Amino acid sequence: MAGLNGKPQARMQLAAIARVRGQLFVHSLRTTKGVLELFSRIVISLVITAGGLGGAVGMGAAAWFFVSEGKTEWLALMLWPLFLFWQFFPVMASAFTETLDTSNLLRFPLDYRSYVAVRLVYGALDPSTVLGGLWLTGITVGISVANLRLLPWAALVLLVFGVLNVLLAQMIFAWVERWLAQRRTREIFAVLFFLAMIGFQLVGPVMNRYGRRSSPALRKFSAEASPVQRVLPPGIAANAIARVANGRPGQGFVSLGLLGVYGVVILRALSVRLRAQYRGENLSEVRRDASGRDRKQGVRLGWELPGLSGPVTAVLEKEFRYLSRSGPVLLTLITPIFMLLIFGLGQGRDLGFLQRSPDLGFPAGVCYALLLLTNLIYNNFGADGGGIQFFLASPVHFRKVVLGKNLAHMAVLALEICVVWIGASLLFRPPSRAIAIATVAGVLFAAPVNLAVGNWLSLYSPKRIEFGTFGRQRASQLTVLISFGVQIIVFGLGAATMGLARYYRETWLATGVFLVLAVVGFTGYSMVLKRVDRMALARRERLTTELCR
Amino acid sequence: MEAPAIATEGLTRRFGELVAVQDVNLRVASGQFFGFLGPNGAGKSTTIKMLTGLLAPTSGTMQILGLDFEKQMVEVKRQIGVVPEGMALFGRLTGAEYLNFVGRMYGLDRETAAKRTGELLDFMQLADQPKKLVTDYSHGMQKKLALAAAVIHGPKILFLDEPFEGVDAIAAGTLKAMLQRMIARGATIFLTSHVLEIVERLCSHVAIIHRGQLVAQGSLEELRAGVEAQAASGLVPAELPAAQKLTLEEIFLRTVGGSRTAEQELSWLG
Repeated sequence: MAGLNGKPQARMQLAAIARVRGQLFVHSLRTTKGVLELFSRIVISLVITAGGLGGAVGMGAAAWFFVSEGKTEWLALMLWPLFLFWQFFPVMASAFTETLDTSNLLRFPLDYRSYVAVRLVYGALDPSTVLGGLWLTGITVGISVANLRLLPWAALVLLVFGVLNVLLAQMIFAWVERWLAQRRTREIFAVLFFLAMIGFQLVGPVMNRYGRRSSPALRKFSAEASPVQRVLPPGIAANAIARVANGRPGQGFVSLGLLGVYGVVILRALSVRLRAQYRGENLSEVRRDASGRDRKQGVRLGWELPGLSGPVTAVLEKEFRYLSRSGPVLLTLITPIFMLLIFGLGQGRDLGFLQRSPDLGFPAGVCYALLLLTNLIYNNFGADGGGIQFFLASPVHFRKVVLGKNLAHMAVLALEICVVWIGASLLFRPPSRAIAIATVAGVLFAAPVNLAVGNWLSLYSPKRIEFGTFGRQRASQLTVLISFGVQIIVFGLGAATMGLARYYRETWLATGVFLVLAVVGFTGYSMVLKRVDRMALARRERLTTELCR
Repeated sequence: MEAPAIATEGLTRRFGELVAVQDVNLRVASGQFFGFLGPNGAGKSTTIKMLTGLLAPTSGTMQILGLDFEKQMVEVKRQIGVVPEGMALFGRLTGAEYLNFVGRMYGLDRETAAKRTGELLDFMQLADQPKKLVTDYSHGMQKKLALAAAVIHGPKILFLDEPFEGVDAIAAGTLKAMLQRMIARGATIFLTSHVLEIVERLCSHVAIIHRGQLVAQGSLEELRAGVEAQAASGLVPAELPAAQKLTLEEIFLRTVGGSRTAEQELSWLG
């Protein structure tokens, strides 16, 4: 065929992909979601830039101090958090991460090496890499200001460390995406992830409890942890620099070699996944045991709840069925208890915050429960995906759909409040009647405010939740920013009210203030609910476009 | 005189500069099996979205069963069933839960919703795996479920956007049987499809939209006669098959000017 001259050149293909990536970036700036979304992007970009530059300066100063003081191995104190951030930020802050779906590239005649290069280079263009790169640069500058002769070596070690971080993040990404591709493994992974997050939350309080210098437990922990951290990448990188700084270049090279070995092992693990992807593996949602037929069963009657119309009850039932099939959501029910446990840790003079003020255990747990619910409330239709078309085409006023969802979420909150009450009573002591009532009054204020803003944002800035992908956005940036602002205001007002009541030693004062605020909150909620039909009609195009992707 | 099932006047939809649907005047009588055809990007899905409330028209009016769509939207929606482009399914429900849910949303009582759910699952051969979630269904099973959901409340008009796309012959047979039963019971079906053979076999009336404008509308015989008359007057290519009826595909290609000239061929393909 004319014009088709043998194999396409890898360089040409990479250039074409780079160009597409650039075009995608430029088009992503042309948001069609409105001025607010653009504003939130600018704010978030500024925050990331400030964090990157500020962190680089701070880490540079710390690196200068450690090297100047002859404690170069202490660089590990910076490399560890940097390492953890690099690996966990993409998971924790998926709203700020846009990833390239490289499976689309498989249709082109790319050879395997080009495919790997694309995955590594274009997959790594995310905030964590940019921030990590900036901070490593800061550390390199700090080291060289303290000891200029260390510059080439430190730059080389930290470059290898940076590449290793990119590879490891990609490797984790590729494997996690594999596990998330199927519902069962996805649920298992979510449970493990949840437990890991809970584990991290425990680190601080445990350190606080056992972390006195004089504590034998700390010394024992340090003695055991120190050799372990030294054989892991951040410790090795710090040691590699320290050994050369201390005039032992041979040992420095050995450390760098070890870092290289890590890189090769990670690359190998990544390669297993990439090769499978390159061969066009099919990670379908279909259960492997789907061939085995279930026993035929009769159809159950739908729910019936007094005082609620059929459609509202149907939406409520549907929401509960969705929630019951989401392991992570079920786990969040017990998270507030973990938080109470964490805040309650402490001994001797360093009693935990909630041991010093056990009456606050109940309100603190309820606040946390409310915070967890914002995930559901602020992107009401995200999990429905294409189902939004059904809501729009059905003969039900949209406000009834939203009301059904809100009632489901409030039922979860009510259940959470009961769980927290039991937990706080067992861990500390049952809250006094005045505190319990003030807390419930606070919920009566905070819940409708969150629901009102959540309903508005769910229609204004919806985001389809992709259960089978990793690192894709679960909420729009606008939603993240506004929900953050709302929590600051709501919890700020709550804390100020409680503080005022404690100052005057009159808890009922807080109840009164909260009830007044609750009236304002309910008024706002009902105003938004009344406008929901009009808003949904006006936004139906955006809703279907965004959620039916 | 009975009001038409679907009537639009000057229906127009713009997306910025692009006019996706322009001044469309549709008339579909009650009880018709109506095929809505057009090349890719002609405006079929946009029209069906407007007719089902998924998209607002920029201008024009729509009447469904004599009801003004904008003013009586909820009442109109109660009378129609829809299988939109994306099927509008809830992936984390089982088939039975989904149909039950849809039935309740359309105002059926619990008992009726459950009874019809069971019947529909049996009819669509989806009852064998009651615990399977919709997200785990194959594409064909999802299409069947979407159609079951669209008919559970016994709609007077059914809007189907590409109902046979990605469906195997067995499932397609089930769907066709169901649609013909609905027509026999007096329902109106408005269907878009690229499979012209199916449209020709099922539909009594057809409209063709091209570049956002309605270019033909009527019974198959009327469209055939129209093309033949145009051929006779030299408005469309005249080489009509002698002593043989024009197929819908031929009518369609002649109406939208789909046959390529030699100059339009790709030079590098030789």
